[in-house]
Amino acid sequence: MDQVRRWAPAAWALALAVLLLGPALAPGYLLTYDMVWVPDLALRGDFLGLGTALPRAVPSDAVVAVLDQVVPGMLLQKVVLLGGLVLGGIGAARLAGPSLLARLVATSVYVWSPFVVERLWIGHWPVLLCWAVLPWVVLEGVRFRDQGRLGAALPFLLLAGSLSVNAGLMTAAAVLAVGLTRRGAARLVTAVVAANAPWLVAGLLHAGDATSSAAGSVFGLHGDGLPAPLAALTLGGIWNADVVPGSRDVIVLPLVYAVALVAAAVAGARPLWRRLGRRTTGALIALWVAGYAVALLSWAAPDALGAVAEHVPGGGVLRDGTRFLALCAPLTAALVAAGAVRLAEALAGVPLRVVAGVGAALLPLALMPDAGWGISGELRTASYPGDYAAARATLADDRPGGDLLVLPFSSYRAPAWNHGRPVLDPLPRYLQPDYVVDDRLSVDGRLLAGEDPRGPEVLAALALPDPEARAAALGRIGIGLVARETDTPQGTTGETPVAGTPVYTGDDLEVIAIDTPVRDRGVSAGWWIALALAWGSYLGVLAVGGWNVFQFGSATIHRKSGSG
Amino acid sequence: MQAFLIGIVSIVVGGGLAGATFVGLVNSQTAAPDKSPADVNAPAVDYGNTK
Repeated sequence: MDQVRRWAPAAWALALAVLLLGPALAPGYLLTYDMVWVPDLALRGDFLGLGTALPRAVPSDAVVAVLDQVVPGMLLQKVVLLGGLVLGGIGAARLAGPSLLARLVATSVYVWSPFVVERLWIGHWPVLLCWAVLPWVVLEGVRFRDQGRLGAALPFLLLAGSLSVNAGLMTAAAVLAVGLTRRGAARLVTAVVAANAPWLVAGLLHAGDATSSAAGSVFGLHGDGLPAPLAALTLGGIWNADVVPGSRDVIVLPLVYAVALVAAAVAGARPLWRRLGRRTTGALIALWVAGYAVALLSWAAPDALGAVAEHVPGGGVLRDGTRFLALCAPLTAALVAAGAVRLAEALAGVPLRVVAGVGAALLPLALMPDAGWGISGELRTASYPGDYAAARATLADDRPGGDLLVLPFSSYRAPAWNHGRPVLDPLPRYLQPDYVVDDRLSVDGRLLAGEDPRGPEVLAALALPDPEARAAALGRIGIGLVARETDTPQGTTGETPVAGTPVYTGDDLEVIAIDTPVRDRGVSAGWWIALALAWGSYLGVLAVGGWNVFQFGSATIHRKSGSG
Repeated sequence: MQAFLIGIVSIVVGGGLAGATFVGLVNSQTAAPDKSPADVNAPAVDYGNTK
């Protein structure tokens, strides 16, 4: 029975993860909205924070670029997605306590959740990794509070949970809320700041451009099929209706789910408080309140958040408020699990309890059945066109200087080879040079202004009257290569010729090198130094984690050899 | 008496799960398309829609 108790939650988490991902685990790349993985992401200055655009993918892109030197991109993506879901499920089970029933229910509630499904579909994998590490961060925070040592796991959890701005803020909030003590404050805060240093420093260097369009209020909490505050209680309510499963669009199922969650949570409050104690439960409640409040604020006062994004550098981080519902997930899962146990214990006899327990563990699946098998087949993988690899190989042989510009100048594509699913244009990441992309976003057919100062410069250059003038203007802003994708709606910019020498011509892709002088987009020494320190801090956390693992391994070997 | 109770609870739980699953699947399979067919002349692919 002990073995069942030990392994059943992990097996259940794995089963749920496989069922949720389904076709996404097939050969190929899952390319959906913001999730772009390529066979071999080349490390480039922009990924370190040196670009002109806001460092939204710092440090995630750089980490992937390094890791896929060891593991191919296709496999790495599956490891991250599957591993993340399993990690999250097991972490929730650990947080739920020793009861097998509690562990299974917590795993179901944590993994089979509207938050996971919606963020998976929209491709926010760094946020999902943050969600995956949060229960572990809570557990390690408790251990840090008791022992005052970072230990072997916490440094790695901080790094994995801080791959984007939102993720880093949430992971930091969780570990500080649970683990901060007077005697350990300096150590813990140092570790948290170091793990977040790359995006933090890159963001500060871009502070002058770090304000967003006020129209970004469209990214606030929506209700799926429910009133928005209720949808947020069930950890759903993403702004984008295109990534909401059909079962969330009707009122009955999410309403039943909301009622069941609240009832179980109320029943579980007292047992959870007794088991975790005042400090940990209080921290979990504070995290829940913070996550729910940001999500609710993005619904109740979207214009106020839009104004913050417009006037306060970095304020745009709050505009997609439902990302912060990840903070609510650990307490929700732990409460519902405790409630399920309490309800089961009220029933007489083991068989009745088993039936009730199985029912509780399966309820999230029954109320969102279409999330299964890759959201009913939506998450199918795709293979890149042969043009991509051929163009990359050509450029690897002889790459002209300057950055890459991809036409048509728009950020998202919905190519037929990706089953018509929208995705952030993968071509710039697939090819090797730094690139300039249009960071305006089209929502409801309306363009929201971007932040990269080079975006308007590109548009101004493309608006010039002849191809030679355009090439010269692009060269002056540091662009040396222009790629044109012909298998996508062209719009005005797609059909605008630019003078240059063709370096690759394929069926649906052509690349030209600009012949006019290309200005070197210099980066000041100050930026280099600041980012070197930031990345040095980041690597320092990695080194501390590695050293702690080494010490832990050595101590274990000594202990075993001593007892043998 | 206990066997009778177990039977009743099993029917309620199983029926509830089956019913919820059935309703969910029917709803998800019969719901109207949530977005219009793509406009091939549109210059920009929508990142999403809030409707």
